[in-house]
Amino acid sequence: MAKKPKNDDPQNYPALGRWMMWVDKLGSIKKLTWILGIICALTILANLTYSNKGHYGAENILGFYAFYGFVAFTFIIFVSKALRSIIIRPENYYGKKSIDTEEWPEAELDKKDHTND
Amino acid sequence: MIDPFPPAFLFFIGAILLLLLPKGSPRALVGIIVPIIAAMMVWDLPTGVGGEVQLAGLTLEMMRVDKLSTIFGLVFCLAAFLGNLYAWHVKDTVQQVAALAYAGSAIGAVFAGDLIILFIYWEGTAIASVFLIWARRTEGAFYTGMRYLIIQIGSGVILLAGVVLLYRETGSIAFEKMELGTLATWLIFLSFGMKCAFPLLHNWLQDSYPAATVTGTVILSAFTTKLAVYALARGFPGTELLIYIGAVMTVFPVFLAEIENDLRRVLAYSLNNQLGFMVVGVGIGTEMSLNGTASHAFAHILYKALLFMSVGAVLFRTGTSKASELGGLYRTMPLTAIFCLVGAASISAFPLFSGFVTKSLILDASAENHYTIVWAMLVFASAGVLSHSGIKIPFFTFFAHDSGKRPAEAPSHMLWAMGITAALCILVGVFPEPLYALLPYEVDYHAYTTYHVVGQLQLLLFALLAFVFLMRTGIHPPEVRAVNLDTDVIYRRFLPMLIIKISNIVSGLWAFGTWFTKGKADRLVRTLHRSHGPEGRMASVWPTGAMVLWIAIILTATLLVNFIT
Repeated sequence: MAKKPKNDDPQNYPALGRWMMWVDKLGSIKKLTWILGIICALTILANLTYSNKGHYGAENILGFYAFYGFVAFTFIIFVSKALRSIIIRPENYYGKKSIDTEEWPEAELDKKDHTND
Repeated sequence: MIDPFPPAFLFFIGAILLLLLPKGSPRALVGIIVPIIAAMMVWDLPTGVGGEVQLAGLTLEMMRVDKLSTIFGLVFCLAAFLGNLYAWHVKDTVQQVAALAYAGSAIGAVFAGDLIILFIYWEGTAIASVFLIWARRTEGAFYTGMRYLIIQIGSGVILLAGVVLLYRETGSIAFEKMELGTLATWLIFLSFGMKCAFPLLHNWLQDSYPAATVTGTVILSAFTTKLAVYALARGFPGTELLIYIGAVMTVFPVFLAEIENDLRRVLAYSLNNQLGFMVVGVGIGTEMSLNGTASHAFAHILYKALLFMSVGAVLFRTGTSKASELGGLYRTMPLTAIFCLVGAASISAFPLFSGFVTKSLILDASAENHYTIVWAMLVFASAGVLSHSGIKIPFFTFFAHDSGKRPAEAPSHMLWAMGITAALCILVGVFPEPLYALLPYEVDYHAYTTYHVVGQLQLLLFALLAFVFLMRTGIHPPEVRAVNLDTDVIYRRFLPMLIIKISNIVSGLWAFGTWFTKGKADRLVRTLHRSHGPEGRMASVWPTGAMVLWIAIILTATLLVNFIT
């Protein structure tokens, strides 16, 4: 997918952007995933430190919200995928009476980028 | 009785004044000074009712000031300020005037003392705002604006019908708490529901907001729907039906947002989902839940504007807001990316961000009042918010795969607007007390209990973990260039198709009918020609014999008739 632009030089990027390029380094994603996993585990541990004050019995189960969050998210993705297969249409489905395939009028924009300067 | 100068008029004066000034900075300055002065005015407004006007034998109240109208008035001023700061570069007079007139109408409607004044400003918001869509000046935007205008004006007409019926029944046009039951109140309810994007009445929102200009969408996102939430909170608090409508509203846009490619449309779906939380708060109708609705509207206007601003900035620099065309922009737009992440964290209700301290009021109110299924739906929808607004918007725009685009950072006025909005989102999240002090009722609530924070973190972080898992396994749906059907397909495709079908059938029947009668007539003429024409058999005895015979027959018949009678 990645189309490498011509004259692409990270030295032209803002300093903050160069610094953030850490996330694309090899292994960074793995590290981030581990950090997320550890924080998740910590929230479960934190769950043990207090007696529950929820309104419902189910909320007293250890990691109730963790389970709910994980399952809800997964459910959303699967249902959305199924839904997409039914309701997806080509981009020009509504023709000229819709903005879906229109180019943005240049007068509205101020396109600038780092590859042609 | 109070007699204040309506803050709405300040906006209208500003809109006229703007035309007298030279294009460029002086005009942009009017756009940001007017909301500041208006906010100060709103802050100082004495509580009460006032601004009487006589119209056709009715006494109308221009102004009704209480805590509910004040908080909405204040946040509308704030939204107008931020939106116009973001639009500093805009040289288009139409957009500048429309933005001021639109904000003014919304503020006027919030302070409306009765239903007639509400109706006037209600239509004002519709007419002023459509120019923010038409200002894109393309064919598609023109038709989209038309669809938007028809629905918005329709909502106003239904409101007027309801008000007229209510006046006939009760002799009052007061805008107070109403009970569903009569046709009048149902019509008013429907009108509010259209503007509030209730399920099945919602699609104007996702149709029109992505069609507006870069800055127009930021301004649109603040007013119309929150005005409707205000109207519901004023007119129908404690209406149980609203709880279920709201709960459905929080859930169904989640799925559609997840698969939508145009990020500004994703945000429109997410807006719809957030409105659902507010509607549930109105439906429960307790002091706590109404506080929840008002505070959530306040927080929501800010983070939603911030998200629309960040996607708008990307659009401004790259010419597209489609997820399939974007990715990896953090390299060259790092500040915009960070502001977008702040907006994403706020809408997802991470602790220390604004959504957390406002949404939990509504969630707790639903649990306290034992709406278990509704509560479960709201928690589910909270995970859903994370999926489309918390993850999808920032991730597919600024991270994910490298699209090869290297757009320059957003211009400084946009960065300022986003920076201030982001700072406010964090401030509200960290120090909720000043916001709580503005709420309509006394607040006795602490969002930052261990139980709340840990529960919310578990919900969000494990949902994030699910996202990582689904991305790594390739199950997460990719972004593709396409549109998805929503209920607007009914009036955008099916109804026109049906009308064409019916017209085909009718014209076919007509053609057959004319062909059939013409054929019959032709044959009749030909037969007559054969028998009575110059060459016909009857013609051979035509002149005298036939005539004498016929006269004899007629005379006989007359004789018989006379004889019988």
